Amino acid sequence: MTKAKRYHPLLILFDLWELIKNTFFVFIFLYVIKAGSRSPFITYGRILFFIVIGAALIYIVLKWFTHKYELDERSFHLYDGIFIKKERMIPFSKIQNVNKHTSLFHQFFQVTSISFETGIAGEEAAVKFKVISQKEAAQMEQYIAGREDDVHLPIVEKAATDRTIHFRPTKRDTLKASFTSLSFLVLIPVLFSFYSKVDEIFDVDEKTKGFFSYIIHSVWIVTVIVLIVVLGSVVFGIVRTFVKYGKYEISSDPERIYINKGVIDETAFSIAKDKVQAIAIEQSFTKRLFGLAEVKLTSAGSLSLEEDASDINSLYPFLPVRRAYEMVSEILPAYEVTLEMKRLPRKSLWARLLRPSWLWMIITAVLFYFKPAFLGVKLSWWILSAVLLIVIIAARVLDFLNTQYILNDRFIQLKTGSLTTSLFLSRRDKVIEVKVSRNIIQKWLGLASIETINRGKPIQHNEIKDIPLEFAETFYKWYMGRIAEIEKE
Amino acid sequence: MYSDINEPQNRLSKDAVKVWIIRDTISNIIWFIVLGILLYLDYRFSWKEWIGWILKGLIPISVLGAVWSWIRPFLLYKSWRFDINEDFLQLKSGVLNEEHQLVPMTKIQSVSTNQGPLLRKYGLCSVSIETMGSSHSIPALPKEDAIELRNQIAYYAKIKEVES
Repeated sequence: MTKAKRYHPLLILFDLWELIKNTFFVFIFLYVIKAGSRSPFITYGRILFFIVIGAALIYIVLKWFTHKYELDERSFHLYDGIFIKKERMIPFSKIQNVNKHTSLFHQFFQVTSISFETGIAGEEAAVKFKVISQKEAAQMEQYIAGREDDVHLPIVEKAATDRTIHFRPTKRDTLKASFTSLSFLVLIPVLFSFYSKVDEIFDVDEKTKGFFSYIIHSVWIVTVIVLIVVLGSVVFGIVRTFVKYGKYEISSDPERIYINKGVIDETAFSIAKDKVQAIAIEQSFTKRLFGLAEVKLTSAGSLSLEEDASDINSLYPFLPVRRAYEMVSEILPAYEVTLEMKRLPRKSLWARLLRPSWLWMIITAVLFYFKPAFLGVKLSWWILSAVLLIVIIAARVLDFLNTQYILNDRFIQLKTGSLTTSLFLSRRDKVIEVKVSRNIIQKWLGLASIETINRGKPIQHNEIKDIPLEFAETFYKWYMGRIAEIEKE
Repeated sequence: MYSDINEPQNRLSKDAVKVWIIRDTISNIIWFIVLGILLYLDYRFSWKEWIGWILKGLIPISVLGAVWSWIRPFLLYKSWRFDINEDFLQLKSGVLNEEHQLVPMTKIQSVSTNQGPLLRKYGLCSVSIETMGSSHSIPALPKEDAIELRNQIAYYAKIKEVES
């Protein structure tokens, strides 16, 4: 498609911007905070700072001149290295998912960044273009999508614009989301620290103390302040959620799934449907109260772009549960969600309660030794220990109640969790290894634990403890049945 | 456990027990020396009281551990089984905590034989198998068997399934 060429020239500017961002605090420390210091540490630090910055500047420019990339029929060719030349070839067929991120910087210059993630382990797992024109990024994506089909599905006539949109949050959805995410609670610690600062200042100044206590004792003023604070935090939370999740779109075409999000910082994620390794449906405690859930796709490629932008693989995190299940079967027709699942037998609860809790033992031993007087109560060490024990038991009982599992034809579904529950769903051919284990208590009660391993970054382990032995047998045989459905090269 | 599945049948070399006992004895000796030195230092420099407690607590645990490490090899040898066929590698091990692992041949990335000084003394080899998601090891096999097994696995693992 292209001849070997250099990266976008704005990459130099982008790298400079990154450099400034990363060294800003060092600069402030050396030249502003310690401005008057004559300490040799600071002097040498400044010299070192100059050398590092200088080297970095030279490197950025040389890097742009020497690094090149090229796309041929079936792979990327990347030419790296200033002194030691290196050529990397990455076949398109290894690409697991594509992440796109348009930060404020990119928007300002009408460019974007794109990264093609592979399942290869290690640092060089991705083909990254930190700055690339939006047109070229789109072209590249299309070109690779076309080529990849050549590799895999030789006779698929690709219709150009057959994307169906599955979900766009309404204002109501986002509003609901802002309450569930409890992001307005972020303000509370800020207020506390503010209050303690005020307290300090007023303590020092005796005169104003009278005024301060006047405020505190006036019910009206306090009420008004509290109201303002509550309102302020709610508004803050809503704005935050709107910025983060307001512009969300989940769409798909016959081969791929696309997730776009972000109002200011735009991120886009796309993955070929047959590269989805597993699906997770997660519900935190608050989400369960509101009947919401988050659907995550697992890819063998990396899912994070840059530092942050986590959850890039998440279909909207605040989907109504019913819609979440529907959407899975809509966008991934190859997956089936079974709503009715099996629950653990009562004897598993015994197995769980009988399992020793090392955490509790160690903490109790430490408490017993130090016997701290918590809130002035002398015997509080055993109270703390008892409270911890109750919490641990409660978590185990909740987990017992929440645990569900089922095998349905080629699919496996495992659900676990005490307060936050997560449902794991995968296909037999995507599970790369299984394990069945039994400890003494389990043998005695006729139980077993099963574990699946799936590709992902990091590798995904999913385990269900204390299922009936017969089910473990079925599970083992079920996995052996995978040979019937895999294609061999 | 698996009534109607052919459980893996192949066993390790009988010398595995000796190798494990020697290995565990050596590490036990080293551990007791370290513990002894720590106890002496604690006594000599009168360290904080809780350190002494922990050290004293470690003594009975270590003794029990040492006794267990002489019983365990026999049980482990008795329980260890493995099997390979065209499609799967099956491993079974453990007495108190019994584990069965089922690894598709197509997911195996590499296989190698290793031999330390102790294994060499008894003419044994261990076979380690790396997969996409984990690594496994068959601890002690007669050298020829180990090499044959390695080559067999390598042959089966060469067949790839269509990766999607």
